[in-house]
Amino acid sequence: MDITGIPFFLAVSFGGAFLAYLMNFAHRFLRNAVVLLTVSASAALLFWLGDETFSMEMGGFVLTLGKTPYSLFFAGIVALLAVPTVLFSFTYMAKEERPAMYYLNLLITIAAMYGILFSLDLLSLFIFWEIMTWSSFLLTIHKGGNATKAGVKYFLYSAAGAYAILFSVVILYNMSGSLLIEDVARSFVLQNPLMQLMLAGTLLFGFSVKAGLMPMHGWAPDAYAESPAPFTALFSGALSKMGIFGMGMVLYQIFLQSPFSLPVRELLAWAGGITSALATLRAIQQTDAKRLLAYSSVAQLGYIVMGLALGTPLSMMAALFITLLHGVFKAMLFFAVGAVYFRTGLTDLNELRGLIRRMPVSFLTVLMAIISLANIPPLGGFVGKWLLYESLIQSDHYFLVIVAFFSSTASFLYVYRLIFSIFLGQEEKEFEHVKEVPFLTMQLPMLALAAVTFITGIFPGIVLAPISSALTYLGFPIQHDMWSMSMLFNEWGNRMNLLAMISVIGTVFLTGFTILYFYRMRRTRYVTTKDIHTSGEVPTENENLTYAINFYQPFERAAHPVLSKSIRAWIDWIGRSVSELGDFLRHIYTGDGQTYAWYVVLFLTFMLAAGSWIL
Amino acid sequence: MIYYIASIAVMLIGLYAVLVKKNLIKIVIGLSLMDAGTHLLLVAIGFIKGGTAPIFSEPGLTADAMVDPVPQALVLTAIVIGLAVTAVALALVIRIYAQHKTLDIRKISSLKW
Amino acid sequence: MPELFPLSPVHYVAAPLLAAFLLPLVAKLSRSFIKILPGLTFLYVLYVSAVLYPQALQAPIIEQIAGWAPPLGINLYYGPMAGLFASLFSALGFIVWLYSLTQMKQEPLDRFYILLMMLVAGATGMVLTGDIFNLFVFMEITAISAYSLTAFLREDDKAEAGFKYILIGSLASAFVLLGIAILYSYTGTLNLADLALNMDKVPLSVRVIVFGLFLVGFGIEAEIFPLNGWAPDAYSAAPAPVSALFAGITVKAALYALARVTILLFPFAGSMALISILGLVTLVISELAALHQKNLFRMLAYSSMGQVGLAIAALGLFTAEGVYAALFAMINHAIVKGMLFLTVFAMAGGSATLDGLNGMGRKKPILSLLFTLGAFAIIGLPPFSGFWSKLSVLTAMGQTGNYAMIAIVLATTIVEAAYFLRATGRLYLSEGNPAEGKTPLSAIAALAVLAAGILWIGFFPGSIDETLTAGAQDLLDTAKYTEGVLKD
Repeated sequence: MDITGIPFFLAVSFGGAFLAYLMNFAHRFLRNAVVLLTVSASAALLFWLGDETFSMEMGGFVLTLGKTPYSLFFAGIVALLAVPTVLFSFTYMAKEERPAMYYLNLLITIAAMYGILFSLDLLSLFIFWEIMTWSSFLLTIHKGGNATKAGVKYFLYSAAGAYAILFSVVILYNMSGSLLIEDVARSFVLQNPLMQLMLAGTLLFGFSVKAGLMPMHGWAPDAYAESPAPFTALFSGALSKMGIFGMGMVLYQIFLQSPFSLPVRELLAWAGGITSALATLRAIQQTDAKRLLAYSSVAQLGYIVMGLALGTPLSMMAALFITLLHGVFKAMLFFAVGAVYFRTGLTDLNELRGLIRRMPVSFLTVLMAIISLANIPPLGGFVGKWLLYESLIQSDHYFLVIVAFFSSTASFLYVYRLIFSIFLGQEEKEFEHVKEVPFLTMQLPMLALAAVTFITGIFPGIVLAPISSALTYLGFPIQHDMWSMSMLFNEWGNRMNLLAMISVIGTVFLTGFTILYFYRMRRTRYVTTKDIHTSGEVPTENENLTYAINFYQPFERAAHPVLSKSIRAWIDWIGRSVSELGDFLRHIYTGDGQTYAWYVVLFLTFMLAAGSWIL
Repeated sequence: MIYYIASIAVMLIGLYAVLVKKNLIKIVIGLSLMDAGTHLLLVAIGFIKGGTAPIFSEPGLTADAMVDPVPQALVLTAIVIGLAVTAVALALVIRIYAQHKTLDIRKISSLKW
Repeated sequence: MPELFPLSPVHYVAAPLLAAFLLPLVAKLSRSFIKILPGLTFLYVLYVSAVLYPQALQAPIIEQIAGWAPPLGINLYYGPMAGLFASLFSALGFIVWLYSLTQMKQEPLDRFYILLMMLVAGATGMVLTGDIFNLFVFMEITAISAYSLTAFLREDDKAEAGFKYILIGSLASAFVLLGIAILYSYTGTLNLADLALNMDKVPLSVRVIVFGLFLVGFGIEAEIFPLNGWAPDAYSAAPAPVSALFAGITVKAALYALARVTILLFPFAGSMALISILGLVTLVISELAALHQKNLFRMLAYSSMGQVGLAIAALGLFTAEGVYAALFAMINHAIVKGMLFLTVFAMAGGSATLDGLNGMGRKKPILSLLFTLGAFAIIGLPPFSGFWSKLSVLTAMGQTGNYAMIAIVLATTIVEAAYFLRATGRLYLSEGNPAEGKTPLSAIAALAVLAAGILWIGFFPGSIDETLTAGAQDLLDTAKYTEGVLKD
């Protein structure tokens, strides 16, 4: 088998999953080695992946696999996050049950994501899509308890999306007689516009479910909160990006020529904007670290959709840049929260506090991540968000700028809550024995990703080069000198200066921060309960003197009108109605045999009456 | 014609018992009646007025003068089947009665929904 | 060997019947024969399949009983479709026997196996026969053994379920017999092929009546919606191996009969559309009703009805693709649902509830994995067999332009996913009831065969493509059927 071919690539990815499952019966070190080797090997193989496409027939359908610059970019994100994820899992999952199932499903999920990306036809895309869905479902329910409910919810939302996709795929196949995306696109333009609208609409709907776009985001908070932390990083960072990948493909490879393309994209951009604003407000309310991050993910995906839907070269660049960066910093955050959970068993922001000296590396990770999330230079998040604002302004979407700006600013509130509640404030006795997580398997993934945010912030060109070839593939007119598109770059003319500028800012900031950090560290004053003015009363040792509970009460009161209505409740209502309908319908089966006999006779009479009426 | 009407009538009486009567044994009787009605109908189809048994017993007898033997063969088979079904049904009725101490079909609906 | 003892489709029916009658005698010799004889019988029948089925793919084998040529004599028509079903039934019979070897402990075992073999023989006869009255007889053989098997266990509700089944089943047989009587009175023949040629003797209004009677008669056994009241009770009351056979064999045989009779005798567009619609209605209502089931066997029963509804909906298209998809759906359902019934029984016993699954993932990991596999396959997730069958159903519907049907099928799939995954999720709950006992090897072996089938079809759907295509052509090509039977 050609080792630069996609079949070999997928064989390694999937084969490793089953090998790891079998190795679990031998020894866990052996299993871990296989797991790590599988993800690293597939990550490495990405570099050597050949250009030739690969077709095979299956069940009367021709499945075609091949790489495109667009898919390679996303595959890079998957690989970038997959390696830290499995590394982080080794210690994290060591005390959990059924590790074999976990690694099997994790590796299948990763392999299926590669499969999705390297599908050149809609059916193989769907097949890998579903494999990804069920394997991630099994991962989500891994913990049992509430996770089961969250997992089923995730699956049902996903199923609604997936079957919307399948609906379109079947019809498109029927129309074009081929499943290849190119062929489908060619015959797609020949359909009448309404048909085009329906087909593209169902496809976009289907992909947007995975991306967690409102109103179909309801699965995300529960599923992210309940899945094992290392997987959550991959879940939010890479898996939900498959939705973005699909939406980009539909919008620019299939739907672009349709007369409805522009209004649909405008609508999507707005959906993205609203999603980012509402999800940010929700995130501020959360008291559970993982739920907070979950809503934050929904919000960030909103930005990406916004950029993706606008469809200017700059906005696309912004969307893809944020796609990568969000993956990186959200993985860092989930890792850090996972590390805290690993040591304390808690994710509740009201209970955690003062861990900064106990877990400094986790703190540093969170700090780096939230700097990136809050778009502060010099870290990578800044570049993406800047490009997004610029593209919004260039395409005259001033109102969306306001929405985006509002939600970015509001996101300061929740990231502050996150870092404050967990790491700052009074140290608690119960956390006295908390240690930092082990270096190799848990600190290293976090620090490596932190380095990525730093590097992408200072050398965005590393990321922009693959993005621009991806965009060229999608048909965007990207000049070779892509720097000239953004004000961010062209004020200084060439990339050297840009690099210098950002490096200077970065270095100053970082040195300042480091000095300050160590300076403060040395001068940390140990507060005793007696130092605090408490009207003559001496508070007891375990009395809470920091205010992490009801953190944003005033805000919540202000935002109440918006947040009191929940879209999720509406979707849940649909689910409940179906369920009640089912409960009603099963009463048809009364349990009385004679009733069934009546059904038979009445049915026969009805049939005969209808028959004679027709005659 | 009268045979047809009679056989249909027997079937309908059986159906009535199946649909309306609440006693399990009466329902089984209804089922048997429905079977019997169908059997009658089958025989009636093959019947020729004044026809003889379908055996070439004497010379000169043509097939036109005989009743159709096929329905009779069918009915024989169908009767056997009907018997078997009735036997199984009655066996079940006995077991139901042993467990529930009632023959009212309305009270035997623990399996439902 | 073949010259001395030529294999013939008759053996499908004769062997199990003979074995069933011999069993009481053999039981006198040694108790262990009771368990062995059915297995040998099914093995023999499988051997017959292995020899005859490839021949049937070339040209249908038409067997005349006792040397009387059709239309006077009874004939067996062993074409690609009948062969497919007959082989499937024998294989399922064998697997269920293998499973029952250790899992079926309730006495009297000899009667259990007698009934089991009669059920398989009757159902196989239904698909093989070329004579409509013979069809009725085999249907009754199947039904009577099914009634008895439903009430086989001597616990509370079993007789009740059996009685309901008898009540509705007798209506079915009465209607079918009535339909046959009416047809015979107009055409004077009982041979299906001959009937097909003589249908113009029957006035249109009578044809509609007879179609109604057959639809209800076979529809009861095929679990079409308003006629399937007996089904949930029977499935949940019968011992699980029998439920697996109900889902895999009796329904399929009735469905085959319905399809064959409809296509031969009533090939109106209206009757076909009607079947399709009924299938969809069955699908929707059954899946919704399954949502709230606490008893697992009942849940599987409703799901089974839904799956059959899906097959009927595809069958009702009566295009080559539609029949192909229906056959695929039936085979998939026979394998997967069979496996689910058997797995649940092995895992949680005969009165399994949803709660009974709690935490099984740790205690019985292999069975849990199998249940998960079955659930995924029945929902239609790739890369398992259910995906390809559902996909073929959808493409067949797409080809006829019935986009609304596609939407309905997909929507019900979400419902299906809801209750199957809820059950799957329970397996992996951390708390749960203590499980006792190890699953015996024979049960695991039987389940492994079914699981291998699911995976095999999932990864190599092309491997059964030829079979299904031939089966679909065989059903749709009525001219070939009538000519083949009546050529002598």
